[in-house]
Amino acid sequence: MANTNTKGITRREFLVRSSVVAGSGFLSIGLPGLIASRGADAAGATPAFTPSIWFTITPDGMTTMHILKTEMGQHVGTALAQVIADELEVRWEDVRLDTPLESVENFATYGLAYTVNSGSVTTEFDRIARAGAAGRIVLVEAGAKLLGAKVGDCRAESSRVIDKTSGRTVGYGEILQKVKIDRKFSYPSDFKKIPLKDRSQYKIIGKSLPALDIPAKTNGQAKYGIDVFLPNMAYGALVPPRTRYASKVLSIDDSEAKKIPGFIKAVKIDDAMGKCTGWVVAVAEKFPAAMKAAKALKVKWDAGPYANLSSATLLEQYKQLSTDEKAGAPWVLEGDVDRGFSESEKVLEQEYTTDMVCHATMEPLNATVQFTNGEWHVHVGTQSTSFARMTLTAYLSQVLKKKPEELKVFVHQYLVGGGFGGKQDYDDILAAAYCVKETGRPVKLIHTRETNFATSFARTPTYHKVKAGIKNGELVAMNQDIVCGWMGARFGVGKKYGSDWLQLDSWEENKRDIDQWSIGGSDHWYYLKNHRVRAWNHEPTTWAVQASALRTVSNSYNIFVVESFMDEVAAAAGRDPLEFRLSMLNGKGGNRGIPNSGYPPGTRSDYYMDQLWISLPWATQDSWPLYESATVGGALRLANCLRVAAGKAGYGTKRLPPNTGLGIAVTAAEERQSPTWVAGIAEVTVDPKTGRFTINRLTMAMDPGAVVNPRNVEAQIQGSALWGASQIMSERLTLKNGAFEQSNYGDYLPIRLAQVPEIDVTIIQSDHHPSGVGEPASTVVAPAVANAIFNAVGARVRHMPISPEAVLKAMKQKA
Amino acid sequence: MATLSINGQSYFTDSPPDTPLMWVIREDLRLTGTKFGCGLGICGSCTVHVNGQPVRSCMVKLADAEGAVITTIEGLHPSDSHPVQKAWIEAQVPQCGYCQSGQIMQAAALLAVNPSPTDEEIVAHMNGNLCRCATYSRIVGAVQRAAQLMREGTNHG
Repeated sequence: MANTNTKGITRREFLVRSSVVAGSGFLSIGLPGLIASRGADAAGATPAFTPSIWFTITPDGMTTMHILKTEMGQHVGTALAQVIADELEVRWEDVRLDTPLESVENFATYGLAYTVNSGSVTTEFDRIARAGAAGRIVLVEAGAKLLGAKVGDCRAESSRVIDKTSGRTVGYGEILQKVKIDRKFSYPSDFKKIPLKDRSQYKIIGKSLPALDIPAKTNGQAKYGIDVFLPNMAYGALVPPRTRYASKVLSIDDSEAKKIPGFIKAVKIDDAMGKCTGWVVAVAEKFPAAMKAAKALKVKWDAGPYANLSSATLLEQYKQLSTDEKAGAPWVLEGDVDRGFSESEKVLEQEYTTDMVCHATMEPLNATVQFTNGEWHVHVGTQSTSFARMTLTAYLSQVLKKKPEELKVFVHQYLVGGGFGGKQDYDDILAAAYCVKETGRPVKLIHTRETNFATSFARTPTYHKVKAGIKNGELVAMNQDIVCGWMGARFGVGKKYGSDWLQLDSWEENKRDIDQWSIGGSDHWYYLKNHRVRAWNHEPTTWAVQASALRTVSNSYNIFVVESFMDEVAAAAGRDPLEFRLSMLNGKGGNRGIPNSGYPPGTRSDYYMDQLWISLPWATQDSWPLYESATVGGALRLANCLRVAAGKAGYGTKRLPPNTGLGIAVTAAEERQSPTWVAGIAEVTVDPKTGRFTINRLTMAMDPGAVVNPRNVEAQIQGSALWGASQIMSERLTLKNGAFEQSNYGDYLPIRLAQVPEIDVTIIQSDHHPSGVGEPASTVVAPAVANAIFNAVGARVRHMPISPEAVLKAMKQKA
Repeated sequence: MATLSINGQSYFTDSPPDTPLMWVIREDLRLTGTKFGCGLGICGSCTVHVNGQPVRSCMVKLADAEGAVITTIEGLHPSDSHPVQKAWIEAQVPQCGYCQSGQIMQAAALLAVNPSPTDEEIVAHMNGNLCRCATYSRIVGAVQRAAQLMREGTNHG
C-alpha cells in the first residue's frame, strides 16, 4: 500500500467520512478508517478511496460492498451485501461486490480474512448491519441539509433521501458530490447504540435474491485461481512425493526430463517449516510439458518416519492407545459416569470406526506467484488470504534469511472452486514461491488430480469406544472414548517462526489441552446425568496424513457415532428412537443454551474457541459478542427440528416397501458454541441379497435463526445433505506405506447425479441471531442412513462409509 | 503450428500435437471457462462441443481437433443467454461454479438433439458430470426448464 491515512485512528473510532476530490465524493465506512488505493494518481485526477472496510458509495450512485469472506459456493458476498444494503437503504440493483487485497496494511484495517466454520453471517451480521445503518443515518443528515429539510422529516429509500413534508428527494450519489461528510462514531460505545431495524422492516434481508456471483459462473467469465495469467509466466507440476509427509529428497535425475521441449528446471522445494516435505517441482514453459517432465524426473527419497504406516496399522495402534486410560484427556465430564454404569441394569458397549476422506475439490489446488519490484504477489483462491500471506512471509523469511518485516507480500483473492476446509493450507503457495526464487520467473503451480490426492489434507481416521448404562429404560450414563489424529497442530505459523502475528499460538501454548476440532460433536445436546468423553491424540496420524479440517470437522464422524449409538441404546432400552431422543432433548442443565445476556466464563469446552475468537483483532473482551449466542434456546430448538422432520417424513405412519426403513438423526454442528439445529430423516431401501442400499429420500429440518437468503440456505442444505450421503455411501481415502492409495475420481467416489435422492427441506426461521448454514446439515445424513439400514434389514454397521459387504456381514450376524 | 476453429474464430497454437485440447483451450488460448478437473475424462469439467457432440476436452489430442468445429462455454450463445444458461440462473444452480461450464455444455448438447427429455434421460446424460458442491438437486429441474424455454422458442433473444 503506497499511502495510508489511518494514522492516529484507533480501532475504537468508527469513521464515516467522505472526501470531495476533483468533483467526486466517496463515502466509505470503516473500522478503523480509510486507505488510499494503490496507484492513485498523485494529482488527484483519478481519485479513489478504495477499499475501505465494508462498503464504498461512489458519486455514480453505485455501492461496492467489500467482502473479506471467501466466495467458494456459499454466495457469502450476496448474503453480507444484503445485510448492509437493507440497513443502508440502497437499491439492490446499485450493489456491486469486491474483495480487498491482503497486505500488512489492509490486515491492520480489515482484520483476519478467514472463511471457515460456517461463521461468516453469524459473526459479521451485527457489525455490518450497524455499519449500514450508520451510513444511512449520515446520508439522511447530509441529504436533509441539501434539501433544506429537517433531519426528522427525512428518510432513506432506494439510494435516495426523501423529505416527507415536501416530497423532494436527492440521490446518494448527488449528496456525495455536494456535501463533505466527516463524522465519527466511537467503537464500540456509539456503535452499539446505532438502532437496527426491526425484522418486520426488512426489505432485502430475508429475500431470496439471486446470488451476485452466479451469472459469471454460467458463461465462463468467473475467475478462479487456476485462471490466472501473468507475463512471462512458467508452469510448475509436482512429482508425487514418496509419502504424504516427511519424505526427504536424496537425489534428482533430470536427464530424461531435459529432453522434453520447454522443460526449464527441476526444483527441489525447501521444506523449511516442515511444509512441502519431499516435494520436487518440474518447471516448464507450458503446463503439459511440466507434467511430462514431472513424470520423467527420477527422484530418490528417504521415505521418512511414516513410510510403513497404513490404515490397518493405524487402527491397531488406536486400539492399543485406548487401553491406556490415563493417557486419555477428558473433554466432557458430567456427573459420575463409573457410578452410573455400576448402578445400571444393562450396559451396552460398542466400537465404531471411520475411514479417512478428503476434500477432492473440483478445482485442484494451485497457486501463482510473482516477484516484482521487491514485492511478492500471490494469486490464489483461498479460504484465508491472511494466513496465506503470513505463512508465505514466514517461509520466505526462513528461505531468504530475511526478517519478516523486510518482506512485502500481497495476496490477491480469486473465486474458490470448492473449499470445504481444503483451501486453508498454503503448501502450494510456498512451493510456487520457491520456484519463483529458483527460476526468476512468475510461476503457476497446478496440481494434477493425482498430485492433489497425493498431497491431500485428510480427515483423520477415528476409533471410538462407546458405552451406555440403562436403568428403567433410561440412559443414565454414557462414555465415549475417541482416538484419532489431532488436526489443530498443523495450522498457523506461530511464534516458533519468529512471528508475532495473529496465529493459533493457543495450540502451541496449550498443547496438553484437547484439540476441539478433533473432538467436537461428542459434546452433544442430550441431557444426561452422567456423561464422559475422553480423547487420545495419535500424534503420528496428525503428521502422516496431515490431518485437517473437512466440512463440519469432527462432527462428521462424532455425530455418526453418537447418533448411530443412540438408536442402539434406544433399542436396548426398549424405546422408540424418536421418543427416546425427544425425552433427552429437554433443554435441561447445560443444554438450556447460553443466556442471552452474553458470553459466560468459559466452560472447558468453550476454552479453545474462546482463545481463538478473542485473538481476532476486533474481538476484544469488551466488544464481543455484540450478538446473541446461537445456543439461545438450547436443545429445545433441536427437539423442534426433530419433530418437524419426523412429521414431514411420515415417521411412524408411512407405509414402507419391503426392506425399507426410516432412520433419524440430529446434530448441533458446528461447535458447541455455534450450533445450528438440524434433524434429518433418511428413507433407505436395502437389497438383502447384495447388501447394496439406496437412499430414496432425505427429509431435513433446520433452525438457523433468522435467514438472510432462504433460497440459498436451501441450496446449502441440499448440497451438504448430499455431501453427507456421499460420505456414508462411498467416500474412502486409505493410507498404504505412508502414501494415499486413491489418485482420481475413478477410485475416490463422490456422489453422482444418479445416486441423488429426493430431498425435502424445511427451514425453521425465527428471530434468533442467524447461525451457520454451510456445513451442519451434512452431519446427520450418515447416521440417519445407518439407522435406516438397521430399521430396513436389521443390519447395524458401525463403520463409515458403509459398504454392501458390511451390510451383508451385519445381516448375517443378526441372523 | 496448429489451427483450431473455436466459437467461430480461428486460433493458432504452437503446442505439440499430442497436447490435450483442454490445456490448449485453457492455457494457450485463455478460454478459461473450460475447466481442468481430472485429466481422465471422468469428471466432465472440461466438456466442450466438438462438431456438436459433448466431448471431454482433456481426452482429445490437439492434432485430432484440427478441422473440427469446437464450441466452448464462452461461445455457447452470443449474449450468454442460451436457454440452459437462463435456466441455470433462474434455478440458481451453481455454488462454487467450477464444474458448471461442463454441466451447461453437457446439458446443452442433450437438448440440441432431444428437446423433450425425460428425467431419466437427463440423469443418464448428466451422470458423468461431477459436482463436489452437489448442486445436483437443482440440475434436473433446470434442464427441464431449459427444454421448456427452447420449446417456447424464447432462446432467440
